[in-house]
Amino acid sequence: MAGEQLALTVLMGLLLVLVAAVLTRLEDWRSYTPLAGGAGAAGEVGHAHEEKPGGITRWLTTVDHKDIGMLYGTYAIIAFAVGGIMAFLIRLQLISPDGAIIGNQFYNAILTSHGITMLFLFGTPIIAAFANYFVPLLIGADDMAFPRINAIAFWLLPPGALLIWGGFFTAPLGIGIDAAQTSWTMYTPLSVEQANPGVDLMLLGLHLTGVSATMGAINFIATIFTERGDDVTWANLDIFSWTILTQSALILFAFPLLGSAIVMLLLDRNLATTFYAVEGGGSMLWQHLFWFFGHPEVYILVLPPMGIVSLVIPKFSGRKLFGFKFIVYSTLAIGVLSFGVWAHHMFTTGMDPRLRASFMAVSIAIAIPSAVKTFNWITTMWNGRLRLTTPMLFCIGFVSNFIIGGVTGVFLASVPIDQILHDTYYVVGHFHYIVMGAIGFAAFAGLYYWFPIFTGKMYQRTLAKWHFWLSMIGTNLTFFAMLALGYLGMPRRYATYAFDGAIAPLAQITLYHQLASVGAVILLVGQLIFVWNFVNSWLEGPATASADPWNLKETDQFTKEFDWYERKLETAIADGGDDDDTLVADGGESVDE
Amino acid sequence: MSPQTFDRETWLDLTVNIVPLGIMAFFFAAFIVVQPWGFDSVLSAVQFSLIGVPLVLLAIVTYYTGRAIFNAEHAE
Ligand code: HEM
Ligand SMILES: [Cu+2]
Repeated sequence: MAGEQLALTVLMGLLLVLVAAVLTRLEDWRSYTPLAGGAGAAGEVGHAHEEKPGGITRWLTTVDHKDIGMLYGTYAIIAFAVGGIMAFLIRLQLISPDGAIIGNQFYNAILTSHGITMLFLFGTPIIAAFANYFVPLLIGADDMAFPRINAIAFWLLPPGALLIWGGFFTAPLGIGIDAAQTSWTMYTPLSVEQANPGVDLMLLGLHLTGVSATMGAINFIATIFTERGDDVTWANLDIFSWTILTQSALILFAFPLLGSAIVMLLLDRNLATTFYAVEGGGSMLWQHLFWFFGHPEVYILVLPPMGIVSLVIPKFSGRKLFGFKFIVYSTLAIGVLSFGVWAHHMFTTGMDPRLRASFMAVSIAIAIPSAVKTFNWITTMWNGRLRLTTPMLFCIGFVSNFIIGGVTGVFLASVPIDQILHDTYYVVGHFHYIVMGAIGFAAFAGLYYWFPIFTGKMYQRTLAKWHFWLSMIGTNLTFFAMLALGYLGMPRRYATYAFDGAIAPLAQITLYHQLASVGAVILLVGQLIFVWNFVNSWLEGPATASADPWNLKETDQFTKEFDWYERKLETAIADGGDDDDTLVADGGESVDE
Repeated sequence: MSPQTFDRETWLDLTVNIVPLGIMAFFFAAFIVVQPWGFDSVLSAVQFSLIGVPLVLLAIVTYYTGRAIFNAEHAE
């Protein structure tokens, strides 16, 4: 029986490979790109932008990659605020063992929504924001390969968010649609059995964000392959574009799978199919499908931030990135191997120990490329002329937090250790060191580093440093306390923890929960400062006169996106207003010296 | 993939991926030698493909990227 299934699976796989092979023979896929080949030489190709309309119409109709990048960024920061408030409520709740402020149901709802919001509505979009704005500039392209698909991909996100959060809006109406309480992993049978239609809304919303991410990924792959300027080769493609390329490939394989799994879940819920029922695939089927998406997803989220850090650290160390190619190859290694480790999230499900051993082996192998990068960043800074600007501080914070997050991950990848620590706060500590301490920090590094380019202003340095230090201290306090909680045996996902002190040291656990909550307060203050600084500097800051705010010319690291910015500043003097960047984007983009 | 395909420099760069390949090869061999849970035609086949497939894929991807970068460098 199992043998037949296996043979069938292998056959299906071969069939798919065959189909792919036939497709590549049928059509020269390059012929689809509107800007085939010589975009660099002939500036005025058919689809270049005309003058942009003003006001709100501009933002609703734009297909300019920079505008779309800004839309993604705004969206992501709003989602970050929403998800952050949810996190703060969670931490408030856990100050006391009985739960300080909210009921269990609502706790479950915000816990679910916090996870999904941060991963799908903040994480992926903030990366897309940087990628949209800067990849075309960095590779010398006029725009993305498919500007309209780019716009559609973004516009799928707001309805996605409304659906995901939908249950919160409809719950007070008393019409029986509440916020989903499935947790972000949506494990069956729980997620099948919860009758609440809010779960369906959330699943549909997730589906939309997945379609959006896939469209974006296709666009980035096409752009990086076909729209590079004449002087950009595989040998000198910048590190950020490399990570976006790899990330896009991961998205291409991971997100459609999540979409299919979600559709099956929706069918099970609404049309009485039995994909995940015991008599069908069983609940392990969901876990396998989910984590086959879920583990690559964590690397989808971390690779581009690694790219940002690899790009920024050299700029403030006064030297080139040490081992550039190490980072490129190890990025690809992570990309490939990330599809071979998914069941390390399922070590305690009772799967066959032989399979478990294999997943452990590959999980240990994948730690190497991550560690290699860390050494490269440290070596780049070693004996360099460091300038501790805010973006640099956030990068250093990234490296530091990534080490703790990565090392705890390697421990979890070892089966015997995982059997003790699985589903405790140790896991929560592990991944928050990475998702907040690393991914979040890299997002801030990028926002500060490129702030002058996308706003034409400079942020307030002192406030920015405050933001960094509060974030660094808050992150480490909150998530280190969680690691300790895990060692003490505190299980994750509970709204209260008023258990018998004989099971575990309740007083100590309460203390660590409170420390984690203090950290959350510090984090919140830091982020309020960030928002104030960001908005205030953007609206009221003095315009930057220099196209080289980081003195990059001095160390010969003035890269293409700042080149573009310099040209923009020069041409802007002749003509003000909204369309100045059009002037540059059309004619000035083609750099063939 | 003969040694002449790449120059010394490139081989050095590639070591970064040869290490994880080596780790997987090690476990592959180790699981052949030590089988505490016995042999089962289906499960053991899955067990070895779980290591073998990523190993081969990573080798292929590394090779092609190595080539692309090497060629781009030497085209200049
Ligand atoms: C590099 C960025 C990483 C990110 C963003 C990340 C993220 C995550 C997340 C979100 C979870 C929890 C999933 C859940 O809700 O259950 C998790 C769990 C886990 N991570 Fe990571 N992780 C990273 C790196 C690593 C590394 C390098 C390893 C080891 C090689 C690792 C091993 C694990 C294991 C074994 C678990 C499962 C623990 C359990 O549930 O018992 N992670 N990680
Ligand atoms: Cu994982």
